[in-house]
Amino acid sequence: MSAGGAGGGAKGGYPQQTIMAIGAVGGLAGIYLGHFMPPAFSFFGGLGAICAIVWGADAVRRVASYGLGTGVPSIGMIALGMGIVAALFGLSVGGIAGPIVSFIAAAVIGAIIGVLANKVIGMGIPIMEQAMVEIAGAGTLAIIGLSVVIAGEFTYGPVIENVVANGYIALIFIIGGMGILHPFNANLGPDEKQDRTLMLAVEKAAIAVVIAGFASSLHEGLMAAGLNIFIGLIIWAFAFMKYYGLVKRDAHAVVGTGLLPSAEELQ
Amino acid sequence: MIDALMANIIWMAFIVIGGVLISWSVHFVPVGGAPAAMAQATGIGTGTVQLAAGAGLTGLVSAGFMMNVTKDLPLILASGAVGAMIMIAVTMIVGTWVYVYGVGCVPSSAKVKVDPITKYRQDLYVSQGTEGHGLPTVSFVSGVIGGCLGGIGGALIYYSLIEVGITAGLSVGASTSVTGNELVGIAAMFAIGIFFVNAVIPSYNIGGTIEGFHDPKWKKWPKAVISSFIATIFCAIVAVIAISQLGGI
Amino acid sequence: MEPLIGMGVLALIGVAATIAGASEDLESDVGSQSNPNSQVQLAPQMMFPHRIYNKAVSGEPPSNALMCSVGAAVATVLISEFTLSPLFALVIGSLVAACVHGTFAVTSVLGRSASQKRFKQPIYLDMIRSHTPVIMGYSFITTFCILIVSYMMTVVLGHPFPLTMLAFIWGITVGAIGSSTGDVHYGAEREFQQFEFGSGLNASNSGNIVRYGESGIRNGYDNSWFCAKFGGPVTGIAFGMTVFLGSWVTTIFDPAKGLTQGWFSVIAGVAIVLILIIWNWKIEVEARKAFGPYKEDKTEEASA
Repeated sequence: MSAGGAGGGAKGGYPQQTIMAIGAVGGLAGIYLGHFMPPAFSFFGGLGAICAIVWGADAVRRVASYGLGTGVPSIGMIALGMGIVAALFGLSVGGIAGPIVSFIAAAVIGAIIGVLANKVIGMGIPIMEQAMVEIAGAGTLAIIGLSVVIAGEFTYGPVIENVVANGYIALIFIIGGMGILHPFNANLGPDEKQDRTLMLAVEKAAIAVVIAGFASSLHEGLMAAGLNIFIGLIIWAFAFMKYYGLVKRDAHAVVGTGLLPSAEELQ
Repeated sequence: MIDALMANIIWMAFIVIGGVLISWSVHFVPVGGAPAAMAQATGIGTGTVQLAAGAGLTGLVSAGFMMNVTKDLPLILASGAVGAMIMIAVTMIVGTWVYVYGVGCVPSSAKVKVDPITKYRQDLYVSQGTEGHGLPTVSFVSGVIGGCLGGIGGALIYYSLIEVGITAGLSVGASTSVTGNELVGIAAMFAIGIFFVNAVIPSYNIGGTIEGFHDPKWKKWPKAVISSFIATIFCAIVAVIAISQLGGI
Repeated sequence: MEPLIGMGVLALIGVAATIAGASEDLESDVGSQSNPNSQVQLAPQMMFPHRIYNKAVSGEPPSNALMCSVGAAVATVLISEFTLSPLFALVIGSLVAACVHGTFAVTSVLGRSASQKRFKQPIYLDMIRSHTPVIMGYSFITTFCILIVSYMMTVVLGHPFPLTMLAFIWGITVGAIGSSTGDVHYGAEREFQQFEFGSGLNASNSGNIVRYGESGIRNGYDNSWFCAKFGGPVTGIAFGMTVFLGSWVTTIFDPAKGLTQGWFSVIAGVAIVLILIIWNWKIEVEARKAFGPYKEDKTEEASA
C-alpha cells in the first residue's frame, strides 16, 4: 500500500497547489456559471464537478499512499458522507452564497475528523488533517456540481425537489464518490503515475456528467439534457483515449495476445 | 437558526446517540479484511465499513418500512435491529458453509486460546501459516450484537431526522410513485451519510480487522466512540438546520 | 393488501434477490474483484505473472451500489419523462448500468497492470476483450434483479424510500454479502487449488496463485466455472434469505394491524437469528469432529 506517489507532486507531476486551485476555483466557477446561465448551460455545473473530482482524486492519492489500514474505498465513502451533509446544509442557509458556505462547512467537518483521526485514534498520517479538508471540500463541490446539472440551479428548494426527493442524491453520492476513489484504487501499484491517475479521474467524472445529464431531462427538458450528455460523452471519449495512451506509455507491454513471460524473461 | 437547534435539542441528542451506537457496533462485527477472504484470518472476508454499512442500511430499510405504519419508537428501533441482525446472521451462516464445506477448515480464532462462550480449544484448530479462519461461535454472537447496535443506531438517526422535519411542518405522506417524498429523501440520505462517517472512523481505529468482543483490539473502542461523538455532534447540527430550513420553502 | 398478494410479491422478490446474489458473485469471480484480488495483484510481484482480469473496482459494495443506482436513475427518468412501461425502463436502465460498469472494469484492469511495469506484467488485450462482455452481462443480470426487488418494494409493498435510494441500499447490501460469502470460495479455494485442501492459505504461499488451467492458461472463465458450482449459488441463497426473511416477518405479522403484531414480527426475527446462531455452532462442532485438530496438544503430552 505504501506504493504510489507518496508526497504529492514529488514525482515530477503537477504540484498539489495547482490542482487545489483548479479544483476549488474551477469547481465554484462551474457551479456559479451553471446556476446563473439558463438551464441549457447547466453543463457548467458538470465541468465544475469534473474539476472537483480531479482534485479529490489527487488528495486521495496523496493520503492513501500512506496506507490507511483498510481499503482505499473507505476514504471515498467518508468524503462523500461528510460532503452530503455539508452540501445540503450550505445550500439551505447560504442562499446565493450556498456553495461557498457548503465548502466552508465541509472544510470544518473534514478538519475535525482529520484531527480526531490523528490525535484521538492515533493514525499518525502527517497529512491526514489537510487531506480530510481537501477530500471533504472536493466531495461537496462534486455533489453540488452534479446537482446543478440535474436541477439547473443550486437554490435549496429546486435541489430538494429535483435531486433529493426522488433519490437521485444517492446516485450523486456514489458516482461522485467512485469518481474520487476509483482513480487511485484502479491505478494502485509501484509504478503509479500522477497524470494517468488524474486522467482517469476526468474520465470517471465525465461519466458522472453523462448520467446526471440524462437525469436532468426530467426537469430541464430534452434539449438541455441532450447537451449535457453530448458534452459529457465528448469529454469521456477524449479522456478515455488519452488514458489508454498513458497506459500504453506506462505498461511493460500491451500485447494482443500471448503466453505468460518465461522465467528468463522475468530476470 | 438557533431557534431551530434549541427546538430540536432532544432529536439532536438522539442523532448523536445513534452515531455513537454505530461507531461502537463496528467493533463487534468480526471482519477479517482481505486475509479472511483467503481463510488467513478469523472473521468475515470483507471490509469493515462495507459490512457494517450493508447491515446497518438493511436495518434502515426495515425501519423505514416500519415507520410507514407505526409511530412507536421502540418498535421502529427493534425492527431496524432485527433487519440488520438478520442480514449479518445470514451472511455469517453462509460464510460458515463456505469455510467449512468449500474450503474445508475448522472455524477457529487465533487471538484467544479457548472460545469464551463454548470453551472449545482454538489454537489447535488454526491451520499452519494463518491467523485463524472462519467464524467460531463467539465471533458469530459478537457479529449479531454488532448488527443489532448498528441497526438501532441507523434507525434512531432516521427517526430523529423525520421528527425534526415534522416539527418544521413537513409531512411524510406514503407514496407509491417513483418520485418520492422530500422529507423521506433527505432524512434517509442524511442517515446514510452520517452512517458512513461513523462506520469509517472506527474502522480506522481497529486497523480494518477485528475478531469480535474477545479480540484485544476491541478494548480500543472508547477512542472511536469519542471521535464519533464529536464528529456526529457537528453532523447533527448541520443536518437539523438543513431539514428545519425545508419548512420555509 | 391481501395477504396472498403480499406473499406472491414476496416470493418474486426472494427469487429476484437470489438470482442477483448469484450473478453478483460470479461477476466478481470472472473479473476477480474485491478481497481475493489482493492475491492477483500480489502475484506478479512474487514472479508469477498471470492472465487473470485484475478488476479493482473499489470494493464490491460501492461498485454494486453504483450499478444499481445508475440503473434505477435511468429507469425512473424513462418511466416519468418518456412514460415507458416499467419493465422496459428497468431493462434499459440495467443496460446503461452494465455499460458504465464495463468502463470501470476496463480502466481498472488497464491501470493496475500498467502500474506493475517493474514486475513485467503484460496487458493482454484479448483477455480484456473476451472478459469484459461477460462482466457486463453478469452486472446486467444483477442490476436488473435488484431493480425488480426495489421496484416491487416501492410500488407494490409501499416502501417510503424512493426507487433510486432503495436500489442504492440493496446494491451496498448485495455487494457486502457477495464479498463476505462467495468470494471466500474463490479466494481461499479456487485461487490456491494447487495446495492441499482443508486449510487456510499459508502466508508463505501468498501470491502463488494457480496460473495454469486444466488446459492452457487459467483465466476468469475457469474461475467462474468453478465458483458457479458452490460460491455463486450460496451467495444467491444468502442475499435471497436476507431480503426474504427481512420482509417475511412483517408480512406474516403485519405491523399495520397493531402494535402487538409488530412486536410479534420482532420476536419472529430474533427467533430466526437465534436459530442461525445454533446452526453455526452445530456446524462448528461437526467440523471440529470431522476434520480434527491441525496440531498435537503439547500441554497434554507433557502431563501424560
